Amino acid sequence: MKARPLQYVALLGVAAIFLGPLYWLLSTAFKQPAEIYQWPPVWWPDQLTWENFSLAWKAAPFDRFFLNSAIITVAGTVLKVANAVLTAYAFAYLRFPFKKVLFLLILGAMMVPGHVTLLPNYLTVASLGWINTYAGLIIPGIGSAFATFLMRQHFLTLPSEVTDAAAVDGAGHLRTLWRVVLPMSQPMLITVVVITAVEEWNNFVWPLIVTNTASMRTLPVGLLILKDEEGLANWGTIMAGTLLVLAPMLLIFLVAQRYIVGGITQGALKG
Amino acid sequence: MRRRGFLGLAAASALAGCGYRSVDAIYSQPAGGVPKQYANRVRVVFWSSFGGVNGKAVDGLVAKFNESQQDVYVEVQFQGSYDDVAQKIAAALVAKQAPDLAILSDVTWERFFLNDALEPLNGYFTDGFGPGVYQPKLFGEYVVKEQSWAVPFARSTPILYYNRDAFAKAGLPDRAPRTWSELRSWGPELARVQSGGRSLRTIAFAKIDGDWQFQGNVWQFGGAYSDGLDVKIDQDGAVAAGEWQREMVHGLGQAYMASSPSTDFANGLVGVIQESTGGMKTITGKAKFEVGAGFIPSEVATGIATGGGGIGMLRNISSERKQAAAAFLTFLARPENSAWWTTQTGYLPVVNAAREDAELKKLIAEQPNYGVAIAQLANARQQDAIRLYGRNSNVAIYTGLQQIYADNAAPREVFRSVARRLEAIGDEVRRQYEEKVL
Repeated sequence: MKARPLQYVALLGVAAIFLGPLYWLLSTAFKQPAEIYQWPPVWWPDQLTWENFSLAWKAAPFDRFFLNSAIITVAGTVLKVANAVLTAYAFAYLRFPFKKVLFLLILGAMMVPGHVTLLPNYLTVASLGWINTYAGLIIPGIGSAFATFLMRQHFLTLPSEVTDAAAVDGAGHLRTLWRVVLPMSQPMLITVVVITAVEEWNNFVWPLIVTNTASMRTLPVGLLILKDEEGLANWGTIMAGTLLVLAPMLLIFLVAQRYIVGGITQGALKG
Repeated sequence: MRRRGFLGLAAASALAGCGYRSVDAIYSQPAGGVPKQYANRVRVVFWSSFGGVNGKAVDGLVAKFNESQQDVYVEVQFQGSYDDVAQKIAAALVAKQAPDLAILSDVTWERFFLNDALEPLNGYFTDGFGPGVYQPKLFGEYVVKEQSWAVPFARSTPILYYNRDAFAKAGLPDRAPRTWSELRSWGPELARVQSGGRSLRTIAFAKIDGDWQFQGNVWQFGGAYSDGLDVKIDQDGAVAAGEWQREMVHGLGQAYMASSPSTDFANGLVGVIQESTGGMKTITGKAKFEVGAGFIPSEVATGIATGGGGIGMLRNISSERKQAAAAFLTFLARPENSAWWTTQTGYLPVVNAAREDAELKKLIAEQPNYGVAIAQLANARQQDAIRLYGRNSNVAIYTGLQQIYADNAAPREVFRSVARRLEAIGDEVRRQYEEKVL
């Protein structure tokens, strides 16, 4: 019992570390420029202003960026997760030569830093003529070693009796995957979808280098444009833009979070 | 992940290698969109580094050009900072694409020139576009062995911006300080002025790209970055300039390192900054006080670095695209367009006759700040070769400055290690430099 107050203090401290910057982002987005630079800091803006949002929206074609980000996130996530699920199923349930070696290779791909593959990917995409296209933005990212690994590890925890029973009932691999394995893996699947979607949405380096025109750029690159306003960064406007970019992912996370937590407890009960 | 890391890699493979690229191959044009009414024209892709107020001015010039004739359509594509544009071009050349025109900064055009990526411009010169038209000092910086490799456009020098309201409150004269020592002696008065709940600091130094202003500061303290490619930054004059700044930050607490000095200045947090004259319109527009401007102070000598962007034409494009691009450059060389650009941004008028333009004269009469850089141009000169020709010399120098501002490192030690780095950089380009420039 004595530890309780201490725990709360520690929890509050950690919460402040995580939420402090987010709160500063949120409040700065509604401040007038003078208040941003005030010392001691102004924690709550005197007059809430929406001006920063309209300035940010007007400074760059954010409607187009939103559309591009949405297309890339949806298409990228669908392709990546489908790819990961099918690969993971093969590694978990099929028997084929060199399975161990191939899986080790995939694990190895996880260890390679992204920088290393950027240049070869760029050259490949360039020779395919995919610079400044959706294909160039989406296709190089659809193989994810991490998502494959997560799905495979989860498939291996499923009781083999269930898949055996499905096989006895005459279900083929695709039916087993769709009707048996995936419904049992729902929490993990949702986790992988959320991680992938956030990754696609936030991706900055790749869209920056394969796009040339405003009509193909995505939101994170749009934030850079907002910040590059000839050295005169207006922090209120930048924070407002950041908030606009952040909001959809925050929503997705809040909605999906129940399932993710559900998945963890489900696994714990199984023992 | 660091995009500079990647793009640096791309740049290295594109440029250092040379084997990749045949100098006269014709590369495709970056994609984009052409509005219907311009569909039948020759398209020119122009990669620009200007956002905000200055970006709108570029758009204005391009729109006027597209309206003024029937044959060429110029499409501006904003690519980020000067360095971003250079890295995008390097990456594009690897992908066998080339924009037709690009804004190249004081330190980026040289590497494209050294690697045969720029089109020589002498063949396109006419009476209205060429040596006699441009301001000779600025035009001459792009001339190597009597051949022009780019033309000046958004050229600038640093000028000293000061907060006139704060100076009045501090009881200081309404002018820029004449020497750095004078500015230091004003620090205590400025510190008595309150701003945003704190006492006003005298000067802010830039975290990124401050090596451009510092080039001039080194000269003002009697030193140099280099003589040719022979590095001199570890010698007395440069060390004295570094020591003056270190003392201001750590000894007196009157200065600090800012990620954007002009933002802090416009918000009234600092008394003076050394900033490009190209920020004049932007800063004046944002500041809620009277902005003053004057010459950059001297110390034992005068001297400031020219800088900013010129426009280069890429070599790997079709002759039809080259002719069309030259038509746009000719349009920009008209005095009224050069003068308009100056009135909209604060950059130097790069065309001689632009100084006689009625609109510009009226603006300078009303707001003398716009005339400061023009008058100061007499003191300006081309930068030391190591910063111009050494790839990423600028990064090596401003990283050293960051150590001085942030860590209170001793300038002599810092510049000694910067000098070693610059010597290595110099050795990389020495062969090309001696062959093509000397």
